[in-house]
Amino acid sequence: MKNKKVLSKRMTYVVMIAPALILFILFNTIPLITGAFYSFTNYKGYGSFEFVGLRNYIDLFSDARVGNSYLFTFKYAIIGTLLVNVLSLLLALGLNSKIKFKSALRAVYFLPNVLGGLVVGYIFSFIFTYIIPAIASALHINFLENSILAGEDTAWIGVLIVGVWQAVAMNTIIYISGLQTIPADIYEAGMIDGVTPWQKFRHLTLPMLMPFVTTNLILSTKNMLMVFDQIMALTKGGPAQSTESISYLIYKNGMDGGQFGFQSANAVVFFIVIVAISIFQMVITNKKEEQL
Amino acid sequence: MRKSRVVISLLTAAAISVSTLLSGCSADSGKDGVTTVTMLQYKPEAVKAFEKIEKLFNETHDDIQLKIESPNEAMTVLKTRLIREDYPDIVGIGGDMNYSNFLDADLFEDISDIEVIGEIKPAYLKMEKELELLPKEGTYALPYVSNAAGILYIKEMFDENGWEIPETWSDFIALCDEIKKTGTDLLYLGYKDTWTCLAPWNALAVGLAPSDVCSSVNAGKTTFAAEYSEVAEKIKVLLDYAEPNPYAYSYNDACTAFARGQSAMFPIGSYAVPQILSVNPDMNIDSFTFPANDKEEDNVLNSGIDLHFSVMKGTKNKEAVYEVLRFLFKDETVQIYLDEQGGVPCKEGDFELPDFLSGMEQYIKNDRMSDFHDHHYPSEMSVDAMIQTYLMDKSNNSAQIFLERFDKEWTRYNRDLIARVKKYEEGQK
Repeated sequence: MKNKKVLSKRMTYVVMIAPALILFILFNTIPLITGAFYSFTNYKGYGSFEFVGLRNYIDLFSDARVGNSYLFTFKYAIIGTLLVNVLSLLLALGLNSKIKFKSALRAVYFLPNVLGGLVVGYIFSFIFTYIIPAIASALHINFLENSILAGEDTAWIGVLIVGVWQAVAMNTIIYISGLQTIPADIYEAGMIDGVTPWQKFRHLTLPMLMPFVTTNLILSTKNMLMVFDQIMALTKGGPAQSTESISYLIYKNGMDGGQFGFQSANAVVFFIVIVAISIFQMVITNKKEEQL
Repeated sequence: MRKSRVVISLLTAAAISVSTLLSGCSADSGKDGVTTVTMLQYKPEAVKAFEKIEKLFNETHDDIQLKIESPNEAMTVLKTRLIREDYPDIVGIGGDMNYSNFLDADLFEDISDIEVIGEIKPAYLKMEKELELLPKEGTYALPYVSNAAGILYIKEMFDENGWEIPETWSDFIALCDEIKKTGTDLLYLGYKDTWTCLAPWNALAVGLAPSDVCSSVNAGKTTFAAEYSEVAEKIKVLLDYAEPNPYAYSYNDACTAFARGQSAMFPIGSYAVPQILSVNPDMNIDSFTFPANDKEEDNVLNSGIDLHFSVMKGTKNKEAVYEVLRFLFKDETVQIYLDEQGGVPCKEGDFELPDFLSGMEQYIKNDRMSDFHDHHYPSEMSVDAMIQTYLMDKSNNSAQIFLERFDKEWTRYNRDLIARVKKYEEGQK
């Protein structure tokens, strides 16, 4: 009975966060530390191993395959983030205006997010391999007659299309909720001043929406950098290793091939890169946020 | 004080409940007196055969319960389980680099005292020995079924047109040219899946390069640039006779296309036949050895161990595990597997070879076989993707680039092994 009294307000909070904290440490922090530990070994994922010092890290910077995976991932993430945010902002503006079937349309545009990445990937894989080339050859569009997934220079575009198509859904929802937080009176004030639609967007909507842009940029950059499902379903890193993302390479060679130690080092570096990018984005975009 | 004690006790309670939750998944739930033997096998396409075997075993054994798991991507599943140290009792995997690595990591039990070894063809036991990275005492795997790779062809199509089975490379090219004139597509290559590129590669390599090329390179006696130049040259020739843009189509696509008669030949292994027949059950498929050389007598059939069984180190029920192995090697059990999956049994005895292997039968009987070269390639080196890259490379010196890269990457990915081989050989002197 005494204990009940002891459970003060502060205690309640501790109890509330404890399960989440334990799970987080168990499934996130401990694996992270173990991974970092293995990055200094030549561990294959099983059996015995030796410490190799910094060899994995040195190799990492001279490995052409790792280098290419970074190039691909960043190319993908930068273009992908831009496309996703522009498209989802446009969609959000549309879906937030006074149109018919607004709720139904919102649900439809959210659908890609509900579908699993692999399912979507396999469907698109079929479309790219069979349907588009068939249409293209019927219409004599030369450059589309071959599956774009089969070309070294074009396969990444296929992956990008699927990735963006899926990512737009979540960002649109976040932008819609952002648009709804903007009080109507500032628009009224704007109308009295006689703003054009562009001015209204540029000087009223966008500054008020900035916190959401920050969130969306960080979320989509992170998601785009971690691209995995789409590659698994569409190209498996091919053709000619042109679409190997960092996560895919870590999984493929760390789990499937016997490079657990080396790919752990890759994962550690990648973790640092993602944290650095997130902090950088937060600092930059925070400056642009407006408060009423 | 009291406050912190409450915190600690709550934290421990939560930790305990989480850990019991986790261990609950792997708990060994068996009835009293019944031993459970778990087996993981890596061929998801053979799931039906293993379901039959499992059922038959459990019907005839009251004291042992056999559980066979056949997951997709079993190698990855297995490796993930190894990382978590959650071992099955028996693993059924292929005789490839993964096995070599597992064996090298000392994961398997020495099973040289099981009687069935005496019933296995010596050629396959020798193949098992060659898979050891460093020579090891004892037997660690029981070869069950092997496969053979070369070229599958549609029998009716060949009979109708009076095409003859080529025995040399020049015959093969002449035949390809002839078929091309008739307007039939002759090879369907599913090069979107990179591993499919390895099928013709291996079939050519066994005929054109020595079987111990990898260990010779490790010992510094030769280079791949010297040994593989002809293989590289010939695999590229095949592209002239394939469908346009083979990199758009996966292995599944190629199997389906071949099953529908869209191509006359398919350079792949016997393991593809069940899948092809699942699309077109009435198809009459036969096969022949890849004619890689200009003299018939130099040709070698590409055949390797498709499935063998190993016992994981530290299994608690060795007796029960042996009983399972003995059961698997009974003639009737082997026949169940062969009826479902096809393939060449590694056990001595009068097993019917499936029809689709009749073109290769002479090679099998005369022991003119050599193991897949990629069984000796480290999987993280992704030789399959390197071959795909090479095939897509249209520049004039593509072969040179590819072979140089092969040698360079080989030393990088195998440097620990090469160092150990050196050490071992010095120790032998």
